[in-house]
Amino acid sequence: MTRDFDDRATRCRAINRRQLLQHAAAFGAGALAAPAIVGNALAQQAGIGSYQQAKINWRQAAGEQITVAVIPASYFDNLISLAPDFEALTGVSVRFEKVPPGQIRQKAMLDLTSKTATYATHAADPMYYPLYVSNKWVEPLDRFVADTTLTDNAWFNYEDVLRAWRDANSVEGKLYGMPYDGEVTVQVYRKDVYDAKGLKPADTLDQFVENAKAVHDPNNRLWAVALRGFAGAGQNMYIYPSLFRSFGGNWFEGGKIRVNSAAAVSALDWYVDVQSRFAPAAVRNWNWPDIADAFSQGTLGVYIDAHSSAAVLNNPEKSKVIGKIGYARWPKGPNGKRVTSIWNWGFPINAALSDKAKRATWLFITWAASAETQARTSWRFAGPAKRSGVNRTSLWRSPDFVGLMRASGSNFVEAALESLEQDTDVDWRPRVPQWPAVGETMATAIQSALVGQKKSKDALDEAQTRIDQIMRG
Amino acid sequence: MSRRALRALLLLAGASVLLAVWAFPILWGLLTSLKTERDVLAYPPKLIFEPTLANYREVLFGSASILPNLWSSLVVTGITTILTMLLAVPAAYALARLDLPGKRSGGFYVLATQMLPPVGLIIPYFLVLQRVGWLDTYQGMIAIYLTFSLPFAIWLMVSYLEDVPREMEEAALLDRAGRIRTLLYVILPQVRGGIAVTTIFVFLNAWNEFLFAVVLGGNRVRTVNVAMFNFISVEQTLWARLAAAAMIAMAPVIILGLLAQRHIVKGLTVGAVKGGGRR
Repeated sequence: MTRDFDDRATRCRAINRRQLLQHAAAFGAGALAAPAIVGNALAQQAGIGSYQQAKINWRQAAGEQITVAVIPASYFDNLISLAPDFEALTGVSVRFEKVPPGQIRQKAMLDLTSKTATYATHAADPMYYPLYVSNKWVEPLDRFVADTTLTDNAWFNYEDVLRAWRDANSVEGKLYGMPYDGEVTVQVYRKDVYDAKGLKPADTLDQFVENAKAVHDPNNRLWAVALRGFAGAGQNMYIYPSLFRSFGGNWFEGGKIRVNSAAAVSALDWYVDVQSRFAPAAVRNWNWPDIADAFSQGTLGVYIDAHSSAAVLNNPEKSKVIGKIGYARWPKGPNGKRVTSIWNWGFPINAALSDKAKRATWLFITWAASAETQARTSWRFAGPAKRSGVNRTSLWRSPDFVGLMRASGSNFVEAALESLEQDTDVDWRPRVPQWPAVGETMATAIQSALVGQKKSKDALDEAQTRIDQIMRG
Repeated sequence: MSRRALRALLLLAGASVLLAVWAFPILWGLLTSLKTERDVLAYPPKLIFEPTLANYREVLFGSASILPNLWSSLVVTGITTILTMLLAVPAAYALARLDLPGKRSGGFYVLATQMLPPVGLIIPYFLVLQRVGWLDTYQGMIAIYLTFSLPFAIWLMVSYLEDVPREMEEAALLDRAGRIRTLLYVILPQVRGGIAVTTIFVFLNAWNEFLFAVVLGGNRVRTVNVAMFNFISVEQTLWARLAAAAMIAMAPVIILGLLAQRHIVKGLTVGAVKGGGRR
C-alpha cells in the first residue's frame, strides 16, 4: 500500500516544468492557445501552492500512513478527491474508509476503547466528545493549535472557524474536534403557497401553527408540516431539543439531568399536537431524507431541518419545487429564543497514536479545515455537488459562496448565516458522557408520545427514571 | 358452481393472497429499479412508465460500482460455504453415528455457540482479529463466518443423517466398504437433499450477514450488503439505485436456489429402503 511520495512530488514538479516549456513553446507558436495552458499550469499548482504559504514544515511527518473514517456523503467525497494533493504536499499517505452513518460511532468506539489506533481520526458526532474526553480517548487540540511548528495561525486563522461549532466540539474550554462540515436548522417553506395565501414564514411557534392551519389541505395532497418523527438520538432527538430550549427548558437542575420539567412537557405537547394535526401519518417513521423527499414532491408546506437539505430540494433529477422554496430562521419559542442545532462533523485525534502519527493527523486536519480546502470542496469544486456546510465565517460571507447559495432559494444565505451567528446554543442537548444512552431514552419517550401510546408527561416521567439510573451508572 | 370448484377457487384466492405478500416487495423493488429517481417518488405510483436501465448501469459501472463488493461477497460467502460443508458433514456424521466420549456434551456445546446474540460477540471478535492483523481481510471474515455457519450446518446435517436407515450402513460395512467409503458412496447420496438445503441456508446466512461485515470489514473487504447501505446516505436515499443494487445482489442466491432445487426434490423422493426413514 505504501507509495513513494517523494518520487511522486518530483513527478509533479517535472510535469510543471514540462508545462512551462509547453507554455513557452505555445507562446512562440500562437498567443491564442496560451491562456488555456497557463490556466492548466495554475490549476496544477493550486493543489499545493497556496498551502506552502503556511510557515510550517508540511513534510515533518512524511512517510506516515493514516486512516480516516468518514461517512458516505458528497461533502466527504469532495475532500477525498483532493487527498492526492495532501499526500503530495506532506508525504503522508491517507486511506479513507467510508462507514455508513449508523455504524460510524460504533466502529470508532470499538477502535477507541480497544486502543488499536486503526483510525487516526474520524468524522465525529459532537455529542460524543464528553464521552471521549472522560476516557482520554482523544487528544486536546489546543496544544496543536498553539504549537508554531505545527500551526501557522497567520495562515490557518483558527478564530475564523465558526465559533458555535468550536464550542460544540469543546469540553471545559478545550477543543477536541476540528469542525470540518456542519449545518444549521432552518424553516424551509413553499414560498409559492405562502405567497398565494398572503402568509409570511413564522416568526414564532404560535404563528407556525397559524400558518399550518391556513396551508393544510390533505385532500389535495398538501400537508402543512413535517418534523422528524423517527425515533433515535440523531433523529427525533434532533428536533425536540430545540423546542425544549425555546420553551425555556434546562437540561440540568441542581447538577442533575432533568427531562420532565413543565417546560419539557409543554415542548413535547406542542410537538405531538403539531405533528398529529398537520403532518402525514407516516411522519412517525420519517427521518429527514424522507421529509426532504416529500417536500421535493410538493406535498409539504413547511419543515424545519438542516439547511443542507436544500441540495436535495434543488436536485433537478428529483424535485418538482425548484424555484418555489423559501427559508427562514427557527420560529421563536415562548421564551423568545430561537434554537438551532450545533451539528457538525469534526475531526479529533486518536490518543492511541504514536507521536509522529499524531502530527501527521494534525497536518491532515489543518489541511482539511483550512480556508483553501474548504473553498476547494465548495464553490471551487469541479463536480456538481458543492458543499454548503463550510466551517468559516469568512467563507460564509464571501461573495463566491453567497453567489453559489443564492440558487438554493429565497433568503437562504441570510437565514442560515443569522441562525449560525445568533441562534446556536451549546446547551442544545445535554452534554454528558452518557449521552448515547440518554439520547436513545429520550428518543423512545418522544416517539411513544407521538404515536399516542403515552401522554407527554408520563413518557417523560418514565424517561426521567431511566435517565436517573443511567447517570448513576 | 360445484362444491369442488368453489373450494378450488377459495384455495386459489388464499394462495394468491399469501403469494402476493411474498411477491409484492420483490416486484415493487424490480419496478423501482427500472424507474428514474423522479418516477420513484411520483404519486400516484406509476405502473406505466418509461423503463430505464440507467440505475443498473450506474450501480455496476458508475462511480459507486458494486462490482468489487459483489466479488467480496462471493469470495467470503463461497469459501465459507465450501469450508462449512467440508467440515460439517463429517462432524455431523460423527455426532449422528459414532460412539464418542462426550458426544452429548460436545453436541450441546456446538449448539451453545449459537445461543449468544451476535452483537455480544462483536467486540471480542474485533479485538482478536485486530491482534492477529486480520481485520478487513478475507481470511478474517471467513474465520468469523465459520463460527456461526458451522454449528448451524452441523445441527441441520445431524438431523438428516439420523434419518438414514442404519440397515443400509450396516449392509455396506458388512461388504467391507469401510467407514469413509460408506459415508461417501452410501450415506451421502441418501442425504443429497439435506446437503442441498443446508448449503443454501449456509450460503444465504453468509450472503445476507450485515453486522459482522460492517464492523469487521472495511475498504478491502466490503460485502455488497454494506455497500448497498451506503445508498442511504445522510444527504438522501437513492431509492432507484438501491433497488437496482438489491436486484443484482439477489441474483446469485436465486441462481443457487434454482440449481439446488432439483436435488432438494430428488432428496425428498428417492427412498432406498421400502418405508424408509426413521421409525
